[in-house]
Amino acid sequence: MYGWIWRHLPGPLAVRVAEAVLLAAAVIALLLFVVFPWVEPRLPFNQVTTG
Amino acid sequence: MSGAGPDAGGYRPRPSPRPHDAPTEVIARRSGTVVADPPTEVIPSYTDPPLDPPPPEDDRLDELPPEGPGRKAVRTFGELLITAGMVVLLFVFYEIYVTDWLSAGKQHAATSELDDEWRKDHFSLIDGRAFAKLHIPAFGPDYVFSLVEGTTDQDLDIGPGHYKGTALPGQPGNFAVAGHRVGKGAPFNDLDLLQSCDAVVVETQTDWFVYRVLPMKKEVQSWQQGRASQPQCKGVSPLGGLYGDTVGQEIVLPSESDVIAPVPHHPGIIPSRGQEAALLTLTTCHPKFSAAQRLVVHAVLVKQYPKDPKNPGQVPPELKESQ
Repeated sequence: MYGWIWRHLPGPLAVRVAEAVLLAAAVIALLLFVVFPWVEPRLPFNQVTTG
Repeated sequence: MSGAGPDAGGYRPRPSPRPHDAPTEVIARRSGTVVADPPTEVIPSYTDPPLDPPPPEDDRLDELPPEGPGRKAVRTFGELLITAGMVVLLFVFYEIYVTDWLSAGKQHAATSELDDEWRKDHFSLIDGRAFAKLHIPAFGPDYVFSLVEGTTDQDLDIGPGHYKGTALPGQPGNFAVAGHRVGKGAPFNDLDLLQSCDAVVVETQTDWFVYRVLPMKKEVQSWQQGRASQPQCKGVSPLGGLYGDTVGQEIVLPSESDVIAPVPHHPGIIPSRGQEAALLTLTTCHPKFSAAQRLVVHAVLVKQYPKDPKNPGQVPPELKESQ
């Protein structure tokens, strides 16, 4: 999977490294600001009210 | 290493490069005595050729097996598992730190909005908006959170939330507040550390209300002989009567909504006027990082200071009771 992505990144090595970092940052941002806020209330970790 | 002779990577220890008797001879010459046997006895076994099996063929490690669909599938599966582990770690980071940052911004905005509202004459309670401030001096002199009306997830992202329908600050009944213990600013992170008689001060537009944590269950029996004499415990005593079950701290199941009833544990009972205590109840999750139970702290109103409009900077002395 990662090898496949690496092989399909265009450009010379330095550009590919930059692209890989950018891609990872995008995935992390998507998780932190979209996926986790959505999934969190559905998980039984942080309910603080009674009843 | 690949491509070397059959010895490469083998396990056979090489024969000692130095002559086996050199150290012995040096010592013997220097000391001028004949050296006893032990060193020489060790050496012969050194020169014995070890009878290890020949090193395994390395050739198979050098060449990768042909890239087949099975190998590809296994590798992708492994990569997915590692990725899943990273995602779970990232979620822990999110819960503990990122929600703190997000909530700090919301709390800050709510507080400045509240300060603006308080400058106006008429102030009304609106869902999801801050309406009071909570000070707990035992958690430090700078501990203050704006309290929001309502206890939905969105409300609690901003700060501790007031259970709608329960009493308002200073009123007889039970002013009940829920707050997060982990992440989201973690306002009630240390709620379990509150001792009996610790002050919980609620600031509204017009007043300061000083509540104090009720005696703990184990302190109730010996209260008069024990902590009752301490100055900060003035006005605090086991409530008794209908309130016999209402103690400083309790741990209950999430379903026990009657801890926030006007008379905790006795839903439906409304004492007659003058008989009803003015309580404060704080709830959060318990144990930390779990929602299996609820930690509940009950406090009782002991003092009220009206705010002096001519002297807006004045604060009650209880706020300086930091530990």
